[in-house]
Amino acid sequence: MAALGMVVICGLMNVINLAHGELIMIGAYTAYCITQKAGMSFAVALPAAFAVSAAVGAAMELAVIRRLTGRPAETMLATFGISVVLQQMANLIFGAQSQYVAIPIPGNFSLGHVVVPYYNVFTILFVTAVLAGTVLLMKKTRFGRRVRAITQNRSMAECLGIDSAHVDTMTFAFGSGLAGLAGALAAPVKSVSPFMGGPYLINSFLTSVVGGIASFFGTTVGSLLVGESTALLGGLTNDVLASILVFLIIIAIIRFKPEGLFAKERR
Amino acid sequence: MTKHWSLRVNRVLDLAIFLILGFFPLAGLSFYTQLIEKYMVFLIFAWSLDILWGYTGLMDLGHAVLFGMGGYTMALCLSAQGGIPEFMERCGVTVPPFWLKAIMNPFAAVLVGILLPALLAWLLGRFLFTSRVGGVFFSVITLALAQVFTLFLQSQQKYMGGFNGIGGLPGLSFFGHSLSLMESYYFVFCVVFLVFAFCRVLMASRFGLVLRSVRENETRLEFLGYDQAKFKTAVFAVSGALAGLAGVLYAPVNGMIAPNDVGIEFSTTAIVWLAIGGRGNLTGAALGSLLINVLGNALSEQFGAFWQLLLGIVIIVVVFFMPDGVVGALRKAVKEHE
Repeated sequence: MAALGMVVICGLMNVINLAHGELIMIGAYTAYCITQKAGMSFAVALPAAFAVSAAVGAAMELAVIRRLTGRPAETMLATFGISVVLQQMANLIFGAQSQYVAIPIPGNFSLGHVVVPYYNVFTILFVTAVLAGTVLLMKKTRFGRRVRAITQNRSMAECLGIDSAHVDTMTFAFGSGLAGLAGALAAPVKSVSPFMGGPYLINSFLTSVVGGIASFFGTTVGSLLVGESTALLGGLTNDVLASILVFLIIIAIIRFKPEGLFAKERR
Repeated sequence: MTKHWSLRVNRVLDLAIFLILGFFPLAGLSFYTQLIEKYMVFLIFAWSLDILWGYTGLMDLGHAVLFGMGGYTMALCLSAQGGIPEFMERCGVTVPPFWLKAIMNPFAAVLVGILLPALLAWLLGRFLFTSRVGGVFFSVITLALAQVFTLFLQSQQKYMGGFNGIGGLPGLSFFGHSLSLMESYYFVFCVVFLVFAFCRVLMASRFGLVLRSVRENETRLEFLGYDQAKFKTAVFAVSGALAGLAGVLYAPVNGMIAPNDVGIEFSTTAIVWLAIGGRGNLTGAALGSLLINVLGNALSEQFGAFWQLLLGIVIIVVVFFMPDGVVGALRKAVKEHE
């Protein structure tokens, strides 16, 4: 899910966003504020998290990233600066200690020997729905067509009268919003803290690299692969060895198929 | 003419930095002398990243891994001098593992601490650069490497000291004679100066020129018959060796080493030094690292979170208004003044 937002930004706009983890953090804090502080339901928190993160993302794009197009190293540095600023702002506002969000759908059922919490089922369904929505948005709507046109050939798209700057902002906001949504979904099962973004950032990077940075289908499979293989190998050996193995496999993938396992054919 | 002047800016700054570092201990502030000694070790680390990122354009987001391999090798060696290290004993280790025996001799440890990271860098470079892996992927892989390395160290409570790392290390010593603060400071100073000289000579050589053209235009370089993968791999290995050397010095100078010193946080800190000081010249790396360390030390105690916040803002401002860092901006100002 977090990786999906990453793919939108990274694959479609060619921007490496090191502040992605912080957008997830913002989503999680939004969920925390709405459910725990304001006492509203989790159903309000999800769209709110999307909206807040999307707004922050749009502001980021307008203020910083737009001015640095075509300079990937500088963009990376600037987003790193932003990530530090966002982290510390969260730290100043909420404090460094972890916050918790109550699980909105309590209870679980057992499937043979395995105990499955209802919330996990909800998460899986919700993520599938969002994924389907994103694919529809990209394939069927006017906005999606424009985004894809710009990805394929920016100057040609501009010649045809597409306002690429506007589309960039929208794309970035959408990707950020997805990150925020991921943060809100993760908030009840993980703790919320100003520094929670880091591991998510790396995971998102890896999954989007495995899946292919421009393919939604690839990302889904990629995230399943990375998650499952870590869990599976973790069961066989131990967690650390598992992540080292997964890391080695990912290096091998990048080496031999740098465009990802499910790359689209490019002309 | 202008070129001469802009070059002179760097030379003047280099001279100033080395003069200040050289005369600082004479002021007699032993606490700060110790601190500056540590910052000098960071200088080596900053330069090792600079030849990789600044000159060649390979942004290593996990450079501290190479630093940490050197540091941990040395720390293990030092803590094993009086038999089995205490932290290992606590976990019930009675027979020293074979690799610990191999680095029992301090000279062997220094050698391993420098060569091991160089070897890792060389292997990684050989593997990655021979395919057409873009610069961005290199950053992502090294970032992930830092994460995995930290996880590994934290999990090895028995052999690596786990989350707390390895502490209580003795300072620098030679053949049983442990150096006083002054002696150790000037020893580190000499090493730093040698590394500086080495980097300057290397970067002014033909090898250094090729590296710069890797940064500027890889495709054209290939057309001219240079194998860019070989040069990238070589510079990564050299950079790894220097980072390892910095780590080897860091362990005794700092007295301890922990997973925090070698993870993503320290790697990105070094990136910030270079970005603020100025990439692609040794002066910028040195100035940036000293500036941030000294300011950070002075300000972070009173205004912890605010200092970090300020640092983040400074990074963004530098990216926009001083793309070549403080040194680049100074050089430009001198040029305009002419």
